[in-house]
Amino acid sequence: MKKHFIKFLILILVIFAWVRCAKNFPIDEDGLLITTRGQCYVGNFELLGADFQTVRTAAAVIDTTAQTINTTVMFGTDLKNLYPQFSLVTDAKLDPKITGKVDFSDLANPKKWTVVSGNRLVKKTYTVYITVQPKP
Amino acid sequence: MQRKYLSLITIMLVAIFFSSCQDKEYALPLGKTGLNNDCIKRTLGPNIVGANIEFTYAMALPASEGKIVSAQVVATIAGATGTYLENRSFYTNSSGVDVGITVGSPSVNTDVKTMVTFTKDTCAATLRYFYTIPEAARGGSVSFKFSATATNGQTVSYDMGPYTITNMDMKLDLLCTDNKAMYLSIADMALYDAAGAAANAANIDLVYLYRNIAGITFTHALVSPGASMDYLPGVTLPTGVNKSTKMSKTWALNDFNLARLQYGIYIDDVDFKVLDFTGAPNFVINFKAQAGTWVETADGKYRAYIYINAVNNATPSMTISIKRYKIK
Repeated sequence: MKKHFIKFLILILVIFAWVRCAKNFPIDEDGLLITTRGQCYVGNFELLGADFQTVRTAAAVIDTTAQTINTTVMFGTDLKNLYPQFSLVTDAKLDPKITGKVDFSDLANPKKWTVVSGNRLVKKTYTVYITVQPKP
Repeated sequence: MQRKYLSLITIMLVAIFFSSCQDKEYALPLGKTGLNNDCIKRTLGPNIVGANIEFTYAMALPASEGKIVSAQVVATIAGATGTYLENRSFYTNSSGVDVGITVGSPSVNTDVKTMVTFTKDTCAATLRYFYTIPEAARGGSVSFKFSATATNGQTVSYDMGPYTITNMDMKLDLLCTDNKAMYLSIADMALYDAAGAAANAANIDLVYLYRNIAGITFTHALVSPGASMDYLPGVTLPTGVNKSTKMSKTWALNDFNLARLQYGIYIDDVDFKVLDFTGAPNFVINFKAQAGTWVETADGKYRAYIYINAVNNATPSMTISIKRYKIK
């Protein structure tokens, strides 16, 4: 009887261990879930100054076909110290990651970010064009 | 054998049951005898030269044992002018208002000692002590020994500190006015008009101006003399005023000492040490009340935080308060 009980116990433990280690939900190199979503676009774009207040004069214009973002910033904006914020479609991620201040002062070479879809199969590169409000 | 153990356990359980159910008779707690004292520090944040450190010192003894004769505070460094020990004892009334009752003569400062001699028969008092931090304490630390004496000959004392005194300076409520007191010197912590700026050209770090320009939002601005003239419209700089000061705009960094609002935010020496002005601009426009800017002078000698207390568009002016830290 005791022998059968130990056998049964070991069997249960093996089943538990096997079930727990099964990888049903794959994750990417950033530890984020890879899902089935193929959508890949920017929903909203914000640009904050060093004081974490918006520097835009109006809402950014996002063209998901041309993959461009156009925004006008206030006269006197410190372009070297800006914090961009992207709102992406569900499960998508941004590459490269934004980890702090971004220098937008080289207006001739606009910054680019790539949006990667939730299934990590679709990639779209957006270009951010900034225009400084002209001095009257 | 088994029965023996069972009976032993039963006896133990019964003993525990009886002892735990025993009523303890309540006795009124006895008050402390003799002269007692206690102290708390009321001020928070960094201890800045010229500002106060405030304490509340309480002392009491049973009425049957005597009354208080005197209270005194001895600081390790003599306080600056304005240091005093209250001669009123405060209590908080039912409306939450602190009410003071005079219990002694005004305090007398003798070197490091501040003393109040009691003139009323009182066996319990709470006195406030205001220590104005002297220049001699800058960058050092200061400690305090509070003590009280009663008619029965008893003396009690209470040690407070040591408290670190900051290296930074503070200047409150400088009124910048467009075309008048518009030249700001961080080194002097002062505003100058054009004539004053010409006389102190080497010390002028920023220019205040207000412009209402259609199509853009300029309003109240602090601009380095060395910045592009796009940001100094209509300004003719005095000869020699040409420094380029690094700046970093902030919003709602309401330092308690500068803003004197309800926010418990304090800028301390360490905050100036960790600033990074790499790539910082030399101008900030469109200031609103409760905004501010970190500043580093062109020679790298000073770092400062300028807080905007108030702005006035009607009579173009801006009230600012400054904390300044000497880097080298």
